[in-house]
Amino acid sequence: MTVDPTYLLQLTLNGITLGLLYALIAVGLALIFGVMEIINFAHGEFLMVGAYAMSFALPALGLLYWPSVAVAIVVTMVGGLLVYEFLLVRLKPDEFERSILITLGLSIVILHVVQYVFTANPRMIDTQYGFDGVDIGAIRITWTRVIGATAALAAFGLLYLLLKHTQFGRAMRAIAQNREAALMIGIRPRVVARNAVVLATGLCGLAGAALAPIQLVQPGMGQFLIFKAFALIIIGGLGNIPGAIVAALGLGLLESWIGGFFEIAFQEGAVFVIMILVLFVKPDGLFKRGAMRVG
Amino acid sequence: MTAMLEVRDLRKSYSGVHAVDGVSFDVEQGRITGLIGPNGSGKSTTIDCIAGFQKADSGRVVLGSTDITGRAAHEIARAGLMRTFQTVRVYDRLSLRDNLTIAAQQFDEAKWTDELLRTARYRQAADAAEKRARELIDLVGLTRYYGAEAGILSYGQKKLVALAAALMPRPKIVVLDEPVAGVNPTRIREIEEVLQRLNAAGETFLIVEHNVEFITNLCHHVVVLDQGRKLAEGTAADIHTDARVLEAYLGMTPEMAEAEMRGAA
Amino acid sequence: MTTDRMRAVAIVAVALLLGALPWLTTSNYILGIAVSAAIFTVSAAALNLIYGYTGLLSFAQLGFWGIGGYATALTVMTFGGNFWLGLLWAGLLNAALALLIGYPTLRTGRHTFVIVTLTFALLVSLITRDWVDLTRGPLGIANLTPPSLFGFWFDTTARFYWVAWAYAMLALGFLYVLCTSRIGRTLVAIKQNEPLVRAQGISPMPYKLAAFAVSAAITGMAGGIFCFHLKVIDPLFLDFYYMQTFLIMVIVGGAGSFWGVVIAGIAMSALPEILRFSDDFRMIIYGAILLIAMLVMPGGFAGWLHERKLSRMRAALQQ
Repeated sequence: MTVDPTYLLQLTLNGITLGLLYALIAVGLALIFGVMEIINFAHGEFLMVGAYAMSFALPALGLLYWPSVAVAIVVTMVGGLLVYEFLLVRLKPDEFERSILITLGLSIVILHVVQYVFTANPRMIDTQYGFDGVDIGAIRITWTRVIGATAALAAFGLLYLLLKHTQFGRAMRAIAQNREAALMIGIRPRVVARNAVVLATGLCGLAGAALAPIQLVQPGMGQFLIFKAFALIIIGGLGNIPGAIVAALGLGLLESWIGGFFEIAFQEGAVFVIMILVLFVKPDGLFKRGAMRVG
Repeated sequence: MTAMLEVRDLRKSYSGVHAVDGVSFDVEQGRITGLIGPNGSGKSTTIDCIAGFQKADSGRVVLGSTDITGRAAHEIARAGLMRTFQTVRVYDRLSLRDNLTIAAQQFDEAKWTDELLRTARYRQAADAAEKRARELIDLVGLTRYYGAEAGILSYGQKKLVALAAALMPRPKIVVLDEPVAGVNPTRIREIEEVLQRLNAAGETFLIVEHNVEFITNLCHHVVVLDQGRKLAEGTAADIHTDARVLEAYLGMTPEMAEAEMRGAA
Repeated sequence: MTTDRMRAVAIVAVALLLGALPWLTTSNYILGIAVSAAIFTVSAAALNLIYGYTGLLSFAQLGFWGIGGYATALTVMTFGGNFWLGLLWAGLLNAALALLIGYPTLRTGRHTFVIVTLTFALLVSLITRDWVDLTRGPLGIANLTPPSLFGFWFDTTARFYWVAWAYAMLALGFLYVLCTSRIGRTLVAIKQNEPLVRAQGISPMPYKLAAFAVSAAITGMAGGIFCFHLKVIDPLFLDFYYMQTFLIMVIVGGAGSFWGVVIAGIAMSALPEILRFSDDFRMIIYGAILLIAMLVMPGGFAGWLHERKLSRMRAALQQ
């Protein structure tokens, strides 16, 4: 089978972009798990809210990309703060199942409220970049994809600096690694947890905003992505941030290649089968359970 | 005197730290043996390895005439070694009666078919368990709470329930992991008396503890650990005057210790 | 008569009364709700076994429900078997799958178990949609032939209700015996304090696997019956809505309480009908119920009643 190199390149670049967006979601989940040992089932809805915010901000701000992204991120961060202060703060460290059910309830409510208010009709949005892009040979990669990927990379860079070099970040790593020891030296778990949640939802908002020009914006858009993200954080090692990123990139590339060379119908099924096989063979994940190792 | 439990050259390390570094000792049948040592000396890890909650890197553990080295925790319990936990473990939402009868469940001959058909064998086993449960609850003085949920008891009372549960299946040896940690002084005396009574009736104990007075009052034989190795072994009196023990625990020589005590007088 | 005996008689009387429903009403609407009530309550009770009693939050129930439905439908429509054989397949296949998935995942942690069961359910959903050759994809399998027994056809809602009722009685009876036995007590112990269970000579794995397999088989057969009530099965049978319904019944009734969940199941089956006017609104209410219950009353109604009993017991013992 001869493979057209530009086609393969396009698939790979698409795969990387997709992978980076998955990574934004997965890293947020890993962050929350590392600090609170809970899984946020409503994470996909934060992404969706970010996408919706982007879809409303763009026309209001003259189709300017970056200010709209900023709005989306702020909206989701505020949402995350509210969710933490009113719901998640009541969870004690060992209440894993309860956290899932609470965030599941939240996810149902958010999704259906959005659907009720804005209907299930997908929103198409336009940005200042339109459909312009960069041409590589015979293919075009739209700016919106390039920028989305860049924004994701920038976010990871910032996250790395944050975790490694700031008090804020070190406190998070301390709690993730050894909760008791961290408490003994005076780190306040409520503050750290709140910060983790806000940071994670912010990343989700960024992902949603970046996705909005690329995919259809609809109420259910977060659901499917989030289920893959859950599998990703297990495969990457629960709470392991670099592991989550690697797993996410792997998934993105895999999806893109499979979708490009086989029928699109099998793409999702195949990807899921692969994920579940990895989970069976290595239920502890491909990497070690993370304590937010940052290199 | 036969050894009920033999521990030979037990070793366990994590990430390069030798938590247990070649520990050997015996627990004689019918005696109370104490295992003491400063924090980080490897006591808990030793107990976990013996009871099957952690896997030792090397060494041997023999219970009676059975080699229990490396076996799973539930198999070791069935072989006759029962243990309690440092942070007390009981079934909070089950009654004291259930707490105790579950502990005997694995040791009677009734199968699920017996229970389903309510055979005589099942009824006998259930009655025997009930009888023993009542005896033990009476022994630890918690009779009035027999039908109550364990969750409403105080920490010290729960420790007594855990002790009673450990005795349900008539084990060969009971290993107590810090039985009086976090317990108030009156309760400590109570636990001491219960243990003495049980020992007088023939029970064998291995007790891990920090509370030196408790160990001194109870134990016939004491093993001292420090940094994963056995530092000294002997009667409580021997240990009190052993130079190495004083050094490890208090960082002093016998002369300094004497001077301290004279100074305090 | 002792109170225990009286309770037993009362329960049998209610059960028989429920069985007599088709003679008490001719409304197909009510009988349809009754079929849903029977089937959903059984599925909720099965979820209660694995989650309420054993402490394992399994989203795989949705997958088992769907596989059970398709297995039964395919047995009848594609492979020429009868309905009862199809149900048998539904039970056995799901039990086998549960053991297959359970063995590797139960040995890791509760976190992995939840996620893997979720992924499994989604995989099943995708397969029903994409493996068109077997499942006919989004079109589904329609016009499912009603079951029959010795020439008696269960082709009206009233008659089909008896199939659902009989299954509910058998399944709930079985679960009751299981939950009140020493096995049930051991499951509860495993949920509360697994290290202690091990220290008492009990190996938790066989119990967890057994609970998982039993709940899978029961849910699978429930799904098999329900799709014949709908007379069609398609990928929508694996809509997350069903999982949410089972979950809410368990949570509101009280995870770990046999009767709490049964009562909640029956009571809440009427709910979807009442909220029929808007799909979104119904889901918002479901989500809100789940949220509020988990925040305020995580033990459900049974848990709340239990807390009150405990307070009284504490007070009595202080004297």
